[in-house]
Amino acid sequence: MSTEPVIQTISSVAGQRLNVPVITVETFFRRHGKNLQLKLESGSGGLERRIREPTINRPGLALAGFYTYFAEKRIQVLGAAEQSYLKHLTKTQRHRRFRALCEAKIPCVVVSRGFYLAPDLLAIAEETGVAVFRTPMITMKFINAATIALELDFSPVVTEFGSMVDILGIGVLIRGASGVGKSECVLGLIERGYSLVSDDVTKIKSLEGRELMATAPELTRYHMEVRGIGIINVVSVFGIGAIRTEKRLDLVVTLKDWQELEEMDRIGLDRELYEILKIQVPHVTIPVRPGRDIARLIEVAAMDQKLKGLGLNSAVEFNQKLIGQMIAQSS
Amino acid sequence: MGLLNRRTPTDSTEKVEKEVTIINRLGLHARPAAMFVRIASRYRCEILVAKEDEEISGKSIMGLMMLAAGQGSKLRIRAEGPDAAEAIRDIEELIQSRFNED
Repeated sequence: MSTEPVIQTISSVAGQRLNVPVITVETFFRRHGKNLQLKLESGSGGLERRIREPTINRPGLALAGFYTYFAEKRIQVLGAAEQSYLKHLTKTQRHRRFRALCEAKIPCVVVSRGFYLAPDLLAIAEETGVAVFRTPMITMKFINAATIALELDFSPVVTEFGSMVDILGIGVLIRGASGVGKSECVLGLIERGYSLVSDDVTKIKSLEGRELMATAPELTRYHMEVRGIGIINVVSVFGIGAIRTEKRLDLVVTLKDWQELEEMDRIGLDRELYEILKIQVPHVTIPVRPGRDIARLIEVAAMDQKLKGLGLNSAVEFNQKLIGQMIAQSS
Repeated sequence: MGLLNRRTPTDSTEKVEKEVTIINRLGLHARPAAMFVRIASRYRCEILVAKEDEEISGKSIMGLMMLAAGQGSKLRIRAEGPDAAEAIRDIEELIQSRFNED
């Protein structure tokens, strides 16, 4: 077991307060209406309804009268199949079935492929308060694009106390107690030509549970608070190259006072992980002492992380070489 | 200048020297070297470790690894300073315990 790395996971406190955002039909329309080429046809009274599941349903079975299993939490799409089925019904049947669909707790209806919904059906939607949209997109393309968009909107977001910097393509979250020197360190990194994503407070979103995306809260974006100087605008002081809107999180660095650290990792054989939103990110702890160039150390940690991404672990490789040499000598 | 050269009573310079054999299977690789240094650094005395004609500081991880002391190799550990005996005792115990390996 001795040469096997020990892996230790620290869980972020922030990760435990999950908040999935509330998405109404109106939010969806405002954010993605343009991309999905949506046009509101009727039922603007239904814009406040909530989309309760981040995907799309084709209500073929529901229109046929089967409601035992019906995904009413999802946006309902009427494609060519649903349209031609409705056409084949008698007028009374068609009204009854469409009314039943509208009276379920669906968020809204989208008619795809550029089809128009008959005026009598639009009237039913208006009456029951269900928003109806039209899109020229092919049903399948619409479903794919809308599902991806919804998935992102539904991703849980947490607030981490730490600064986010992009170092050579490695997104690094710098954590540490207040006063430990995070902002000075971030300034040092900006001076070296790297980009600031967020100072002190970072919003982190989980993308489909696969990776984490970090960004700054809109209000404080591109601003920093530096002790003794005050609030500075990073774009004005350092130029547009010094900032970045969002960045994937690849590495978490925790700065700790030298004296607080009893035992520190000196070789880097073991791995530490930091868990945010159920995703584990590599983590390193750097001891802070006056006179140490922390920005430089973080830069090296980021570059070492980049090497690890390529499958090169310096510590493991070195140790294997050493053990190999000792075995060769003793035999 | 007698004042500057005078030694405080606790600063008696002990000198201890000991030969120990590395017994764990993988030898003094990175992890044992880190443990060695962690213990050595607790003491004020100077610690020197020699293998054959190579001598390095017992408080340097890179130095210890450079010795490439595999299983069966003999190390000569010298300590000089106020707590030299204790330091040597602890280091010897660590090596005897096979660095909690095997």
